[in-house]
Amino acid sequence: MLLGSVLGMNAQNPIIRNQYSADPTARVFNGRVYLFPSHDIISPVEPERKWFCMADYHMFSSNDLMDWTDNGVILSQEDVPWGNPKGFAMWAPDCVFKPEGPQSANSRLNNGKYYFYFPDAPKEGRGFGIGVAIADNLFQPKFVPQPTPIQGAMGIDPCVLQASDGNSYLFWGGGMIQVAKLKDNMVELDGKPERITLPKGFVEGPFAFERNGKFYLTYPWVRKDGGTECLAYAMSDKPMGPYEHKGIIMAEHPNGCWTNHHSIIEFKDQWYLFYHNNAYSPSFDKNRSVCVDSLFFNADGTIQEVKPTLRGVGITDARKAVQIDRYSEIGGKAHIEYHDTLNYFLGWKTVLPKGGWVKYNRVDPKSSSAQNVCVRVKTTAATILKLQLGAYATNLNIPATKGEWKEVNIAVKAMPQGVNDLKLSNIGVAQAEVDWITLTESPREQYFTPATAAAMTPDKDGFIRRWMLLEPIDKPNRSNTVFVDTYLREQFTKEYFPGQMTVLPKGGDKVTVDGKSLTWHALESTRFNVKLFRFATGLEKQEYGVLFWAVTVIDCPEEIKDVRLAAGSNSASMWWLNGEEVLLLSGDRRMVKDDGLSPRITLKKGRNILRGAIINGPGMSDFCVRFIDEKGEPVKNCSITLK
Amino acid sequence: MKRLIFSLLAAGSTFLNINAQIGEPFIHDPSTLVECDGKWYTFGTGGGGLISDDGWSWHGGAERPGGGAAPDVIKMGNKYLMIYGATGGGLGGGHSGRILTMWNNTLDPKSPDFKYTTAVEVASSDGMEDNDAIDPGVLLDPTTGRMWLSYGTYFGNIRIVEIDPKTGYRVKGNKAKDIAIDCEATDLIYRNGWYYLLGTHGTCCDGVNSTYNIVVGRSKNVLGPYIDNVGRDMLAGGGKMVVAAGDRKTGAGHFGRTIIDEGVEVTSFHWEADFDQGGRSVLAIRPLLWKNDWPVAGERFREGTYEIESERRGYSLELAVDFVRLNVPRQRGGWNQPAQQGEQPTLIGEQKLDDVKGAWPTGNIDIRIGDYMFRPHQRWTITAVPEAGGYLSNPYFKITIAGTDRALAATSKMEVTSVPSFTGADEQLWRIEQLTDGTFRIMPKAIPGKKGVNTVYCLYSIGDSTPTLAKYEFKSDNSKWNFKEYAK
Repeated sequence: MLLGSVLGMNAQNPIIRNQYSADPTARVFNGRVYLFPSHDIISPVEPERKWFCMADYHMFSSNDLMDWTDNGVILSQEDVPWGNPKGFAMWAPDCVFKPEGPQSANSRLNNGKYYFYFPDAPKEGRGFGIGVAIADNLFQPKFVPQPTPIQGAMGIDPCVLQASDGNSYLFWGGGMIQVAKLKDNMVELDGKPERITLPKGFVEGPFAFERNGKFYLTYPWVRKDGGTECLAYAMSDKPMGPYEHKGIIMAEHPNGCWTNHHSIIEFKDQWYLFYHNNAYSPSFDKNRSVCVDSLFFNADGTIQEVKPTLRGVGITDARKAVQIDRYSEIGGKAHIEYHDTLNYFLGWKTVLPKGGWVKYNRVDPKSSSAQNVCVRVKTTAATILKLQLGAYATNLNIPATKGEWKEVNIAVKAMPQGVNDLKLSNIGVAQAEVDWITLTESPREQYFTPATAAAMTPDKDGFIRRWMLLEPIDKPNRSNTVFVDTYLREQFTKEYFPGQMTVLPKGGDKVTVDGKSLTWHALESTRFNVKLFRFATGLEKQEYGVLFWAVTVIDCPEEIKDVRLAAGSNSASMWWLNGEEVLLLSGDRRMVKDDGLSPRITLKKGRNILRGAIINGPGMSDFCVRFIDEKGEPVKNCSITLK
Repeated sequence: MKRLIFSLLAAGSTFLNINAQIGEPFIHDPSTLVECDGKWYTFGTGGGGLISDDGWSWHGGAERPGGGAAPDVIKMGNKYLMIYGATGGGLGGGHSGRILTMWNNTLDPKSPDFKYTTAVEVASSDGMEDNDAIDPGVLLDPTTGRMWLSYGTYFGNIRIVEIDPKTGYRVKGNKAKDIAIDCEATDLIYRNGWYYLLGTHGTCCDGVNSTYNIVVGRSKNVLGPYIDNVGRDMLAGGGKMVVAAGDRKTGAGHFGRTIIDEGVEVTSFHWEADFDQGGRSVLAIRPLLWKNDWPVAGERFREGTYEIESERRGYSLELAVDFVRLNVPRQRGGWNQPAQQGEQPTLIGEQKLDDVKGAWPTGNIDIRIGDYMFRPHQRWTITAVPEAGGYLSNPYFKITIAGTDRALAATSKMEVTSVPSFTGADEQLWRIEQLTDGTFRIMPKAIPGKKGVNTVYCLYSIGDSTPTLAKYEFKSDNSKWNFKEYAK
């Protein structure tokens, strides 16, 4: 992936791929889906406890169930006044919105609050309490926990049903499933809890909802002695029951993952089941991952059993990596494997031997002129992959990649617009391993190539494209409003690593900044502007709230007097020539060609070292630099080296 | 210091009534203004929009489903094509943007015909590429009839795609083309052989500290390259200023152009913060001027005391009264006599209203145009009459002789006169609009005996010395006037 195209994720199972996630409660607020899962971690307690371990909650959200945004931590165990700050017991949560007072039908304003329900271990004593944390909004929400847990509701797995009778009901687990009405304040029980009678066997994780006047209570259930959890459901005409057991929503996990826990939502006229498995932790089933699949009702209101898929839901945007290892069908001895069994989060690859094929349903290239296929592939000999999209077919000539992963771009006749099933078959002889495939209008832009030793001058407009770039230094500015001159001077002149103002690093050299090892990369920009944002994302480093260092060498055959350094940067930057400060671009800047120019300076005969530091909060960071002579012409009679 | 602050505030408050569009003009990313059944509409980020009966007083009430950011709208025959970004531009939604179009037969939400068609996607970004498909701006090319859409934000490039103007769908096989970086909330316009790409530069959404400003590049080809005034491509960050902060307002963003008449244009945009409205984001409408084929926003028209100069001859609008000579002795020894050492020149007082007013008739006084001599009968005070309503860009004004209530008025014989005192009658109210060349046209709100609001006849130099009312013609300097601030 190094400096290649970094491709985002499409909705395939699991849907959260940068961390473990479990017990997913999905809710729809204002047309956007919000996901409130538990956050499994590997126990940080020594010796490692091989058990459930959860210290905080992240919130995720999506407009389409495909692109998921991690909105970050919304509550940590240290924040709960009554909770044990080292309890690691922040199990399955829920979140509901309650309007404040009567709402006008067309009001877009949320005059109300979000109530987040969560189990936690109390500071003293045993078992679990159920807490409530309240936030005014979900845009950078601040959930403030109540000082005490809900009185009278000891247990885990809270779920709030907001019924059409205008009342809210709290369901929870803990050896059995109980329910109680909530008072209007949403933080106190209104009356005694009632136990819900369900078939024999362990139950937990209730999720209750209402549809067409019927109430559904759904729950993980161990139906066989010594078995693991399936998802079952019961129905009632009343919110608090009695509930009549109806059947199974999802069978036990075939790989033995002991738990399952779920939620059910309707979104854009389709019902969905969110659940979890242990796809990223095959040998330890307490580190789980959230999945989603479509759910269907029968005409009589009963639920059809959901078969878990790899493919997940939605139409996959084929401009992004289509992870065909999340196939809908597979055959001809094709199979999937983990990329790396030491880091399961790297996901899977598809192994396509001769005759092997995978089918991946519902992809859309989103263009009527998609004419480029990019395959990330590994082969030892050339082969041919046949690509089919509905009735469209084309053969992709895949070169030998010497056993290395390579992104191969292949021009093809225009692919059909709209949604089609994609099939990829190996019709050659040699085996191919495929990571992903994209269908785009043009090959994805490469922003950098590794610097070579070949002679290089500034480009036709004088821009310097060969640079030594240091991986980003953490500078967590959430906005660029702080970039006033005083702040910048302080940040640009402070020492981050030894020899900062003198060193001429080599590619691969490392420095340590704030205990973090950062590497210098020798690169050539394919554009006049050096896209630092792409440098960072290409290395899977942080792209926002960062400071970059850049160094290059300008070798002049003769002294050139009275030139000026002309720079543009996003955001602020400072530049030094041969150790002397020559230019500061301050404020919240965009990268504009010739935005700021230095005073008249001299490029000496021989090597001149140009050094720059560029700082950015959010947004795309980049810079462009050239020298302009007295006549306003770009300086080009020099060579750019990194030595 | 206290006194100074007080007087500044006081000065500010006297102009409040014409400081901005009135009503509740609160909006972000306003679409190009569009007229429907005699009302003006503009649509903003989030979903709703503003409606105005006269172009001056704006209120909420316009409706657009779909949410998202920064729509644009265009009238196509008797239908309206709405184009909007379905996503929020990075706010919790990443950079996978979608641009949709939909039609409506009317923009009036109260009309039985008000119903949007199902929106169709015409452009999108995949979240990783150098583009965020929001903030569309639409152009119907008057030379070819083809429809173009620019879109994008700071997240990478501004792109252009072609739309089928009959269906509102993307033209099949059309590939998006990059035309700019470093801006957002773009718009495309065409004038006089040039295509213009207007972009919003600077920082959005930071209230009174927002540095948002509108810049422009131009091209002979709609697909670019769009070049600025120093030859810099907008793909390298180029752009020439069209409107920046000023006038107690910051953060100009999201350009739109409305052509009212030949040579009468306005630009609509938003201010991120109006210092006189608590720093809220408001709709702004300013005259749009053209200088050497570059657009630049004119200033809002300010109340004050002015000479009204004809563009035809350079003479000044005045009361037809006796010219009263100033009796100042001529300099000793003639004009070429050297001044004596240490001698201070005498300051000559100007003619005062009270020196001449007594001799003026008390009834109506005719209006003529004459040599400007900064005399009381040539000094006109222009004051907004907020209760009389307005038009795009301004309220109606009364035009009175400074220090008096004597007001300029239109007559039923299509001439102009002055009445002894302003009564608020429509023929004494004047619509003042800056033209694209920087001059002004001046129109009576109504002409006695003619029905309705006048939008045809303007104050006109039929001779060097003779004003009348005649049809506005941009081609003729007879239709044009300049307001020159009266020197104090």
